[in-house]
Amino acid sequence: MSKIVMRFTGVGGQGVLLAGEIFAAAKIKEGGFGIKTATYTSQVRGGATVVDIQLDDNEIFYPYAIDGEIDFMLSVADVSYQQFKNGVKDGGTIVIEPNLVHPTDEDRKRWNIVEIAIITIAKEEVGNVITQSVVALAIANTYTKALDKKLLVDTMLSKVPKKVHELNLKAYDLGEKYATEAMAEA
Amino acid sequence: MSATREIISSGNELAAIASVDAGCMFFAGYPLTPSSEIMHVASDLLPKIGGAAIQMEDEIAGVAAAIGAGMSGVRTLTATSGPGISLKAENLGLAQMCEVPLVVINVMRGGPSTGLPTRVSQGDVAQAKNPSHGDYKSITVCAGNLAECYTETVRAFNLADRFMQPVFVLLDETIGHMHAKAEIPTVEAVKAGIVPRKTFDGPADEYLPYGAEQDQPAVLNPMFTGYRYHYTGLHHDASGFPTEEIETCRKLIDRLFQKVEKYTDEIESNEEYMVDDADILIIGYGSASLAIKEAINMLRKEGIKVGMFRPITLWPSPEARMHELGQKFDKVLSVELNQGQYLEEVQRSMGRLDIAKLTKTNGRPFSPSDIIEKVKEL
Repeated sequence: MSKIVMRFTGVGGQGVLLAGEIFAAAKIKEGGFGIKTATYTSQVRGGATVVDIQLDDNEIFYPYAIDGEIDFMLSVADVSYQQFKNGVKDGGTIVIEPNLVHPTDEDRKRWNIVEIAIITIAKEEVGNVITQSVVALAIANTYTKALDKKLLVDTMLSKVPKKVHELNLKAYDLGEKYATEAMAEA
Repeated sequence: MSATREIISSGNELAAIASVDAGCMFFAGYPLTPSSEIMHVASDLLPKIGGAAIQMEDEIAGVAAAIGAGMSGVRTLTATSGPGISLKAENLGLAQMCEVPLVVINVMRGGPSTGLPTRVSQGDVAQAKNPSHGDYKSITVCAGNLAECYTETVRAFNLADRFMQPVFVLLDETIGHMHAKAEIPTVEAVKAGIVPRKTFDGPADEYLPYGAEQDQPAVLNPMFTGYRYHYTGLHHDASGFPTEEIETCRKLIDRLFQKVEKYTDEIESNEEYMVDDADILIIGYGSASLAIKEAINMLRKEGIKVGMFRPITLWPSPEARMHELGQKFDKVLSVELNQGQYLEEVQRSMGRLDIAKLTKTNGRPFSPSDIIEKVKEL
């Protein structure tokens, strides 16, 4: 596998960090190198948050995604979308929450922008907004095919309390379903 | 090489785990971004092994309680960021004067003052050399990758007990929060390497805690073991009681220097990355070295041979090796996330002023391209 670079962006308090840790841990379990960094602001809630995830078979020194090398970005807040979109390589995929993120027409020409209502899915279909992190995990893996699904799901389950395993499995399945549908439409 | 194990974690968590593995039994502090996870993990782990972790009312009380525990004889930790060190400074001077072993982790963020709480910096390198007033010799180590957040913290505890003084571990926001795999020694290997502080086991009435040879640290027996002695921040004699006697005062401060200066070989540690065949030398440390390594690999693909010298022990500096490298390399570039705090030490050690510098103080990390661009300008 060549290097896969992902970026998750949102605002503080949304909990996108966990998805990054799951990706990194799963890649390491597979025998490769995974690294997650998070950058956030001193605002407790509402500040732009960015999580960079790099997965590679070779050792990674520099822990942040390098602008122009990002294959896949997922964004659930406009403030962070606008701030961090330029790191995505031309033609790369950006999945956005259409109720919250507003790309320009130029953006739509430059990148493969996919609209999936991540927060609505987590809140209404899964039944708990906190599961958006796992919905995002499923969408990202469906698009990037970064890791074996079973490995990723098992790693995810190892990081969430047992009593919410069912809920998170449902979140993963829904994320995968919506991503697969969006890919088929494109 | 001793046995290792693999942990997936962050730098802050690894530093806290290292402390417990190294025999630390007490943490006191006050949570401060970006260091708070150290306190979280210490608070989780220490009570499980019969130790204690306490959140004090402020930074000053945090270090004061930690020093008290150090005085009592146990391995002790406090952790904070630059603004916390500023507040702890007076008590850190007390610990230097009383020769109390203690590990102080500073996860550096943007300063001065409250600065940039969530963003990376290496702005406390000069502070770590002399956080408080007065003369003493700082011991400061700086982790340059996740594994070193663990190994350097372990080493700091051993150095603190060996030299009987506070030892700084500098991390920074990038290293403290990055999350990946670290290959670290097993707990057994760490435990096997622990050398407890020296104690005096002669008759109590002959015990002179500060009566050490001029190149040796104080010998402070654990409290409540039948040996009574006195701690003071004032100049003191061999018994620990205040004095202004001329020769005693001179010898005390000389000893605080000599106990470190004569044994820098035991303290020094550094990494040389692709230095042997290089035409250009970069000097960098901490998280900046991650961008430097990436840049070196990219530059070498273009045929530009660059190497890196990375001090792991920042204070005392590896002056002899830097001097040698300064003779060998025509082009030297110092890279740090401050305005050149270590550059001055590099210039002093190399005995030359013509060292190029790349600095950044906006709370953002270096990217490899920043370094590549600068190297090509040289």
